[in-house]
Amino acid sequence: MSIKRLPPELVNQIAAGEVVERPANVVKELVENALDAGARRIDVTSEGGGRDLISVRDDGRGIPPEQLPLALAAHATSKIASLEDLESVGTMGFRGEALASIASVSRLSLRSRVRGAEEAWVIRSEDGGVGEPEPTSGPEGTLLEIRSLFHNTPARRKFLKTDATEHARISELIQTIAMAHPACGFSLRLGTRTVVELPAVDDPRRRVVEVLGRELTDELLTVDFEGGGVTIWGLAGTPSIAGPTSKRQRIFVNGRPIQDRAIQHALREAYRGLVEPGRHPTVVLFLEIDPRLVDVNVHPAKTEIRFRDGGAIHQAVRRSLKATLAEHDLVPSLELGGGDRGSGSPGGRGPVRPFSATAHGATASYESIREGLEMPAHPAPFLGTSAASTTSDHESKTELMPRIGADVRILRVHAKYLFIEDEQGVLVIDQHALHERMMFEQLKARIDSGPLEVQQFLVPDMIEVDAASIEAMETLAPMLDRIGFDAGVIGPRTVAIRGVPSFLLSRNVEPGPFLRDVLAFGAEQGSVDDVEPLLSEVLDMMACKAAVKAGDRLNDHELAELIARREEIERISNCPHGRPTSLRISIAELDRKFGRS
Amino acid sequence: MKVVCDRAALVEALALAGSVVPTRTTAPVLGCIAITAADGMLTVAATNAEVGLTIGVPQVDIQKDGTSLVPSDKLTQIVRACEDTTLTLELEKSILHVHSEDAHFKIFGFDPKEFPGVKEFPEKASNCFTCSAKVLRRLISRTLFATAVENSRFAISGVLAEKRGKRLRFVATDGRRLAVAIGDVQGGAEEETFIIPAKPLQVLNKMVDDPDAMVSIAQEDSQAVFRIGEGADAAVLSTNLVEGQFPPFEDVIPKDQDKKVCFESAELGSAVRRAALLTNEESKGVRMAFSEKKLLLSSRAPEMGEAEIQVDLKSYQGDPIEIGFNPAYLTEALRVVDAPEIEIELKAPNKPGVMKVGADFTYVVMPVNLT
Repeated sequence: MSIKRLPPELVNQIAAGEVVERPANVVKELVENALDAGARRIDVTSEGGGRDLISVRDDGRGIPPEQLPLALAAHATSKIASLEDLESVGTMGFRGEALASIASVSRLSLRSRVRGAEEAWVIRSEDGGVGEPEPTSGPEGTLLEIRSLFHNTPARRKFLKTDATEHARISELIQTIAMAHPACGFSLRLGTRTVVELPAVDDPRRRVVEVLGRELTDELLTVDFEGGGVTIWGLAGTPSIAGPTSKRQRIFVNGRPIQDRAIQHALREAYRGLVEPGRHPTVVLFLEIDPRLVDVNVHPAKTEIRFRDGGAIHQAVRRSLKATLAEHDLVPSLELGGGDRGSGSPGGRGPVRPFSATAHGATASYESIREGLEMPAHPAPFLGTSAASTTSDHESKTELMPRIGADVRILRVHAKYLFIEDEQGVLVIDQHALHERMMFEQLKARIDSGPLEVQQFLVPDMIEVDAASIEAMETLAPMLDRIGFDAGVIGPRTVAIRGVPSFLLSRNVEPGPFLRDVLAFGAEQGSVDDVEPLLSEVLDMMACKAAVKAGDRLNDHELAELIARREEIERISNCPHGRPTSLRISIAELDRKFGRS
Repeated sequence: MKVVCDRAALVEALALAGSVVPTRTTAPVLGCIAITAADGMLTVAATNAEVGLTIGVPQVDIQKDGTSLVPSDKLTQIVRACEDTTLTLELEKSILHVHSEDAHFKIFGFDPKEFPGVKEFPEKASNCFTCSAKVLRRLISRTLFATAVENSRFAISGVLAEKRGKRLRFVATDGRRLAVAIGDVQGGAEEETFIIPAKPLQVLNKMVDDPDAMVSIAQEDSQAVFRIGEGADAAVLSTNLVEGQFPPFEDVIPKDQDKKVCFESAELGSAVRRAALLTNEESKGVRMAFSEKKLLLSSRAPEMGEAEIQVDLKSYQGDPIEIGFNPAYLTEALRVVDAPEIEIELKAPNKPGVMKVGADFTYVVMPVNLT
């Protein structure tokens, strides 16, 4: 076979494979074009999973008739003209390949009327063959209709999922884009159903809340952060609304939705200990960063980007979220089950959920959202907060942990739970969970200032482990150093422990079995580049082993210390496994139960 | 059985016996002690699966012989709570009556035949050897504290007793420190080695309060039997031995330490205790910086504070060195050395330190890596 230059249609078809893998990508390209054209309203329709029809109509600037053929040509774009422009891309699209690629795998019609122009023009293309612009009628703006997508690339078509799946992706995509563009109205019709209808709004928060679901308003904390060359704004869900998938996590960089492992990691780190493993917090973050410090031209789909200083971004995201979470009292309040003796549930929140625990976040910073959502003029007390304390919450910008009185009496229940009065009602503490949390924070703080102290052994302690654990020793070695284990492999299945963290000894934790657990855990994780998350996990294990157990009788001194230090520990409300350490039964709830409200 | 006894003496005997009685039992009879009046003597006996104990009660007037088996905790509580100088114990069938001047208690007891019995001292055992109570007490107190409380390595949960001729050596370790104490004994076999569990040694330690009493030690049926005192009112404690191999400890005692310090034990103890005040669970270690004539102890508990204490040295040989130790390991030893002066030998920050009192006490302790 001789080498031949590929015909341009084929080049476009190949490129199409990169840009338009599936109908949702087509929608993405077209919607981004519409946004770049200054649209204030974008209506999207999809039929047959996007295979039969995708149409995107905007009210943007429009394309002059003489440029219509160019719009369908490869690497033709109005968005950048030179390499310098590429350095500071401010528009959504810029590569100038999308329309050409889409045109090459579909039957396309592009109708546009420039703002203020007398008439609209349309151009049609079929399998890459572009026709001539013809005058037609139509409103200002641009309408793109894509039919028979992938009809000439059967392989691609075969890989498409069911209509429902493709439509779900499109819906997901429109919602994500809508979050970043509150000033633009969006609608999405799938078949005959309108699934998204978002009017243009001034308030970005309102848009995000509308997309996530209005019922979550109370559980979303505002993130507002500036530092390390980044401005971060967004909403962070309380741990109670963490979901089983990461679907409710959306990250935008300069308005562009992206997927970035480092940022996702930072997010997990910020929520570490607050959310149970396997649950994903709800987080929407908008990062604003100097465009010159980001490379968006990594992948044609533009969902991956490269930061010039990834470490700084990671740190900024983590710090912004941690600060937001730490500022708010995350102790879930406990609603007592059973019938409500009061005069109906307050604020029309619906029926009382029996024994469900919901965190109530700070309410102060949410005024604007609530107003935007046209809540009642005098909002009824939020869950578990009496009217009086709600008022005071509104006055203070940040709601700190409610204080426990100085002469507090503690009721021990079954050597497991502690009941304490605080300003909002009764606090129920799980002694193991709280102590574990405390130990964890203590260890974490300690390990930042250097490795844990090692108590050397007179004679090494030998433990037998499996082959996978021996392998894990290598990966884990730097971490073992930091947590104070002096251990080495001395046989095919034998590890010698020469020294152990004195912390474990003082808490009467047997180091041999503990190290075996750590190695088994490490073996499960396989080889990792970053031991940081592992370190947290291992400190969790340490804290759990060292903490008082349910059933251990605490003496008065230990109790007092546990309670006193509760307030010191940051984000004390969940144990490292994500279980709550405390629950609150509020006075309001008790009042309601006793028919006093 | 009828006996008039001195209440204080009875309290003491019951307290010792009570420390052997298991606290949680499956059958009530296991929580009982046997009180026997015979041959002009009153004895209290208690046993659990591991340890048996018989103690004579002095200052009694026996009016009628007999044996009563009653719950240990109730009798002890009653005898403690009474304020009389003397009490009268009288057995009627299986009921024990306790009479004081203004009170009368009836304690429902059990048939004495149900008492499992305690081991008598094997008078004729050829391996029997003797020492003074003072020697045994010192051996116990200088080693018992260093045993491993956790049970994972069974052999080191007890104290190794090793007799070589006229020398009896007690050795205890928990893997981080090792205590070796040596005392003089008489008689018995040339070589003996056995491991005594920690619990009975604690009881024994309370029983050897008269330094001049004679202690006899013998082994029989894989039990060790201790007799304190002589004649009919001698106390006897028997215990099962710990099975297993005590780790080879000789190699652990370093021989080439090149830095030698001499201390007043009390002064060092005080300094270490004070430095320990500013340590916490994650930062246990106390830093010891030795230089000529001076030791600087320092500690640091993050978010709490720091301590610095200076100690004058009686003498120092060798180069300056900085080494960290868990202060508890030092104070526990200093509390029991029972000597005005001690010597500490060091080599390197990551090598063991050795505390010595003459040739009778050697204590090896591993350092902590300070960070």
